[in-house]
This record gives sequence, structure tokens and C-alpha cells, in this order.
Amino acid sequence: MTELDTSEYADVWVFVEVHDDVMPVSWELLAEAKTLTAKTGDDLVALVIGEDVDGIAEEALARGADRVLVADDPVFEPYRADPYGAQFRAMVEARKPSIVLIGGTHTGRDFAGRVAVPTHAGLTADVTEIDVDDEGILQARRPAFGGDILATIVCEDHRPQMATIRPGVFEAADPNYACETTLEGSIERVEVVVDEADCISEVLERVVDATADITEAERIVAVGAGIEGDLEPALELAEALDAELAATRAVVDEGWVDGARQVGQTGKTVRPDLYVAVGISGAIQHVEGMNKSETVIAINDDPNAPIFDHADYGIVGDLFDVCPQLTELVQERGILEVAR
Amino acid sequence: MTWTIVVGVKQVPDADEVGIDPDTGRLDRANAPAVMNPPDRNALEAALELRDTVGGSVLVITMGPPNATIVLEEAIAMGCDDAVLVSDRAFAGSDTWPTSLTLARAAETLEADVVLCGEETTDSSTGQVPPGIAAHNGWAQLTYAEELEPQPDEGRLVARRDVEGGYELVAAQLPVVVAVAYGEFDPRPAGLHRKIFAENDFEPREWTAADLDIEDEVGLDVSPTAVGTMETVEPVERRSELVDSVNALLEPLEETEVVG
Ligand SMILES: Cc1cc2nc3c(=O)[nH]c(=O)nc-3n(C[C@H](O)[C@H](O)[C@H](O)COP(=O)(O)OP(=O)(O)OC[C@H]3O[C@@H](n4cnc5c(N)ncnc54)[C@H](O)[C@@H]3O)c2cc1C
Ligand SMILES: Nc1ncnc2c1ncn2[C@@H]1O[C@H](COP(=O)(O)O)[C@@H](O)[C@H]1O
Repeated sequence: MTELDTSEYADVWVFVEVHDDVMPVSWELLAEAKTLTAKTGDDLVALVIGEDVDGIAEEALARGADRVLVADDPVFEPYRADPYGAQFRAMVEARKPSIVLIGGTHTGRDFAGRVAVPTHAGLTADVTEIDVDDEGILQARRPAFGGDILATIVCEDHRPQMATIRPGVFEAADPNYACETTLEGSIERVEVVVDEADCISEVLERVVDATADITEAERIVAVGAGIEGDLEPALELAEALDAELAATRAVVDEGWVDGARQVGQTGKTVRPDLYVAVGISGAIQHVEGMNKSETVIAINDDPNAPIFDHADYGIVGDLFDVCPQLTELVQERGILEVAR
Repeated sequence: MTWTIVVGVKQVPDADEVGIDPDTGRLDRANAPAVMNPPDRNALEAALELRDTVGGSVLVITMGPPNATIVLEEAIAMGCDDAVLVSDRAFAGSDTWPTSLTLARAAETLEADVVLCGEETTDSSTGQVPPGIAAHNGWAQLTYAEELEPQPDEGRLVARRDVEGGYELVAAQLPVVVAVAYGEFDPRPAGLHRKIFAENDFEPREWTAADLDIEDEVGLDVSPTAVGTMETVEPVERRSELVDSVNALLEPLEETEVVG
């Protein structure tokens, strides 16, 4: 293999994922990437791909990008892996970014490999912490094997250094960042290299509702398979506690709760003040998404359920008895507003 | 037109049985029994259902050590037609780039129309291998597939893809790589006769890196990523206090300033 001259590669790119709206993780990445460019002196470049996305390019500047690259064309709407992959790859090959960060959404994880494979880039999945060392090597940290280990993945000899980053772990970039710092960035339209005639896939239908964002919630009532399809007791408890509803993957797979509310390794990471786990066994993949919660209460009728090890307070009992009782008690006492 | 359906399965340490070595504080994977990556069972079922509708054959492939034959036997017991073990010392240290290259070459050699994979593995959990296979071969891909509708006359496969907040129906031209959403496609049990055949008579085909003509393109040297350090994460301190009445939960709720 021929050695790659890594010094030819510069700048940190952040992919801004657009489906009608911008996925929140994009702005989280933009903010976190600033901590990298502050150290390396690189430009922070936002990449916007879509159709009629000028407004979003402006917003990326307002939120702190030094530069924005825009690929604007109907071929990119709605999202498909092959045109996104091809366009992104062409831009990477022409402009040689050192670091490329992509949100670990279904979309991000879908096309990232289509860029990393042909460019022979290093791609780390599901990253929850990022940093750079003195040589500008990205330190991409990710939980391994169910979260007991934090592995640092590095890519020394290949470029770009790519990572998909788990949604919900970083704070979103301030929409007024540029005003406050009088930063002035630039927007550049890039050549669109993809042609509809070359596409090998077609979106026949797309049905998407506004997605709930549970990552910012201060209080969460999360339900597991123990609810057996009956959300009522948990919903009432959530209302009494002024809490958001969340769920395990088992519940989402059953179709009882929308996937946007899934907590865990393949769902969201949450850190509320209070997390009430209702009928949840406490599988490692679930716990990984909730163990940053301040206080955890678990309700489960199996005294040996692992969730009790990951809870501050546990009550062994039937959730269909415990939830209504707790709801009533909370209503009697009166809840305090969530401090925002 | 019948389809050649290839399924990638991987042997992983049983996630429920992985303990921490008390001396090193490291995960003790060596002593965990090896099992089939659970999401790959969903891919196998999806493959068998496709074969039921379209006709053709289901070929299972694993890249792994010789004893990974066991997971191939399991797949044969479920009803798959044939299996390939791709095994070579040259693969040691491979990250997702050479892994997906190897599987891509194998799929090409098998003249796959459809390659089915699991959503992700429980040991490396990247989910990058299926798009990697597609990218190496320039094929279409359908990830997070919850339902599949084959359209053999058009040479297309339509998938219902799970996306944030909803779903989409995407049609892809063959050959296509599919990553089946974990938990979808309930795996069928193995039939008794098939099981006996798989365990006693079945031998997988065995391929090396040289058979796929990729000896110089696999292993540690071509893997862009490397694991730098591994830190054991301090388990979050929890009180783990069991209370015996619902009333007793009020105190913690007061402390967390939820109730007055
Ligand atoms: C690659 C991969 C990724 C995954 N990602 C995720 C993820 O992101 N998030 C996630 O949550 N999971 C994930 N999982 C799945 C995870 O391994 C578990 O299967 C899942 O979390 C179990 O969900 P559960 O606790 O709701 O169900 P179960 O494990 O079935 O637990 C139900 C619990 O309810 C209790 N119960 C039953 N009835 C009652 C009652 N009446 N009153 C009180 N308690 C009752 C039972 O005792 C039991 O403990 C993933 C798995 C894999 C392989
Ligand atoms: N070594 C392998 N052999 C066969 N299939 C694999 C291998 N590694 C990954 N796969 C397939 O790719 C899917 C995703 O794996 P990963 O990208 O490692 O999370 C798995 O569920 C398998 O279907």
C-alpha cells in the first residue's frame, strides 16, 4: 500500500442531515466539533445536501460553522443512500477533509459506509465522545460490549477520519452563535456530480410524523415489555410527574410506542433528573442509554430483574398496581414544575 | 427468474455470558460461549421467506475462525441450502473495511442477487458491514428493513425501511444488500431431520483469502481503524435500595424536587 500524505488533509466537516427539518444531532455535532477546531485551528465546515436548502445553510453559519458547502438538487430529495454516498464521496475526494462527523441516525449510518469504503477512510460507529490529540488524530470513544468498556478508536494512516456520533449526547449549537461572536462565514455551492439516471434505488413512499425529542426531558417514565400493550398506567404516571414517555426496544418493536422514544444503544441517550423504569428488565443495551440519569426508580415484579442494580430505588410489584398508586400519591402531594 | 440469496452470519461471544476478568478488569470474552449473532437470525428468516416467494437458494456465509462452522450448521438446520466458511489467518485484525471487502467478493463469487445481513453485531456493533458490502460492489442497499416485497419480474426488491419517526418504502435494483431490522422476521425453528443432517453430514465449503484473490487486501495492514485504548467504565453508582411500599418512593421524589 502506498503511504498517504495525511498533511494534505485539513478541516473538520459536519454533515447536516435534512429531511424537511434538520435532525437535532446535526447541531449537536456542530457545537462539539468546535471544541476540535479550537484545538487544531482547522475550519469547521458544515455540509448541507438536499433540495432548496439555502435557509439551512444560513442557519449552519448562524450556529457557528466557518464555512458551509451546499449540494442542492432534486436528486437528493428524499434521501437515498446511493446519490448521497456518491456526492459526499466526490466532495471528500476533491477537498480532503481531515475529520468528518455524521449523526448516528438511520440515515447517517446508512450512507457513511458508502463514503468510507471507496475512499478507504477510517469509520468509527456509534461514538459518544470525541477529542483530538496533538497530532490532530481524532480520538473517537465509544462504548463497547454493552457499555462496560469505553474504547478509543483511532485512524492514524488513513483520511478522512470519519465517525458516526450517537444522537443526544452533546448540547446543540446555539442558533445565535455567529451574532454573539460576530463570526462571518461563507456559503459555497458545490458541483452536483450525481445524475438521476445513474440511481439504483427509488423511494416509493415516505411517511414520517414529527418525532418526539426525549433527549432533553428532565423527567422520563419509560415502559418495557411488562406493560403488555397497555400504556394507560404509565401514561397517567407520566402526566402526574410532568414526564415524557420513553420505551425499550421490545416495546417499540411491538409497535406500542414510536421508535423516536426508544432509549438505549440503538435508540437515544437520555439524562433526565428522574427516570422511572416500568416493567423493564434492564438489558445492557437499554441501560447504556439511561445510566446517565440522575435518579432512577424501577418498578418490576421480578425481584431478580437486573434493572434493580441500575436503579436507586426499586419496588417489587405488579406495575398495574404500583403505577396507579404512585400516580395518586404524586397527585395528592402536588408536583413541582420542572426547572428549565 | 429465481434468486440467489446470500446471508452473512457472524459468530459472537454470548453477550449474556461475558464476565469481567477480576484480575485485569477487562471483559473476559474468551470464556463466553460463542453463539450466532442474534440479529442474524432475523436475516436468515427474511432470506428463507424470500426463497419461499421467489424460489432459488439461500447460501450462508461467515468470515471467521474454523469453529464458526457451528453457526453455519445452525443456519443449515433452519433450512438454508448451502454454506461457506471464509477463514484465513490473513484476516486477523480486520476492521469493517476488509471484512466487508471479503464478504463483498464472496457474494460476487456466489453470484448473489440479494445479500441479507443482520442490523448489527453484538460484539463490534457497527452496522457498517452491510453498507460496506454494497459500497465495495457498487450495489444498492436497504438498511433497517422491516418488511420485504420481492419484485422478481422487475429485478427489484422493495423494502419498508424504519426511519426516525416513521417509515419509507424503497425499491432497489438487484443485486442489493439488505440489513434486516433487529427483531423483525421471527426466526423459524429448525426441523428435526434438517438438524440431524446439519450436525452429522453437512460440511461447508471453505474459502481462503487467496480463493477470493484478496490476500493483500485484508487484515490489520489495510484496516484504517485501530483500537487505541480500552478503559473499563466505572459502573454508575446506584443506591439499589428496594423499598417495600409505594409511599416510600415519596422521599426520593422530594429529594429530586419532583414533588413538594
Ligand atoms: C444489537 C441490539 C441492540 C439493542 N438495542 C436496544 C436499545 O436501544 N434499547 C433497548 O431497550 N433494547 C435494545 N436491545 C434489546 C435488549 O437486549 C432487550 O431485549 C430489551 O431491552 C428488553 O426490553 P424489556 O425490558 O422491555 O423487555 P423484557 O426483557 O421482556 O422485560 C420485561 C420486564 O417486565 C417485567 N414485568 C412483566 N410483567 C410485569 C408486571 N405486570 N409488573 C411489573 N413488571 C413486569 C418482567 O419481570 C421483565 O423484567 C438491543 C438488542 C440488540 C441485540
Ligand atoms: N465476519 C462476518 N461474517 C459474516 N457476516 C458478517 C460478519 N461481520 C458482519 N457480518 C454481517 O453484517 C451485519 C452487521 O455487522 P456489523 O457491521 O459488524 O455490526 C451482521 O449482522 C452480519 O449479518
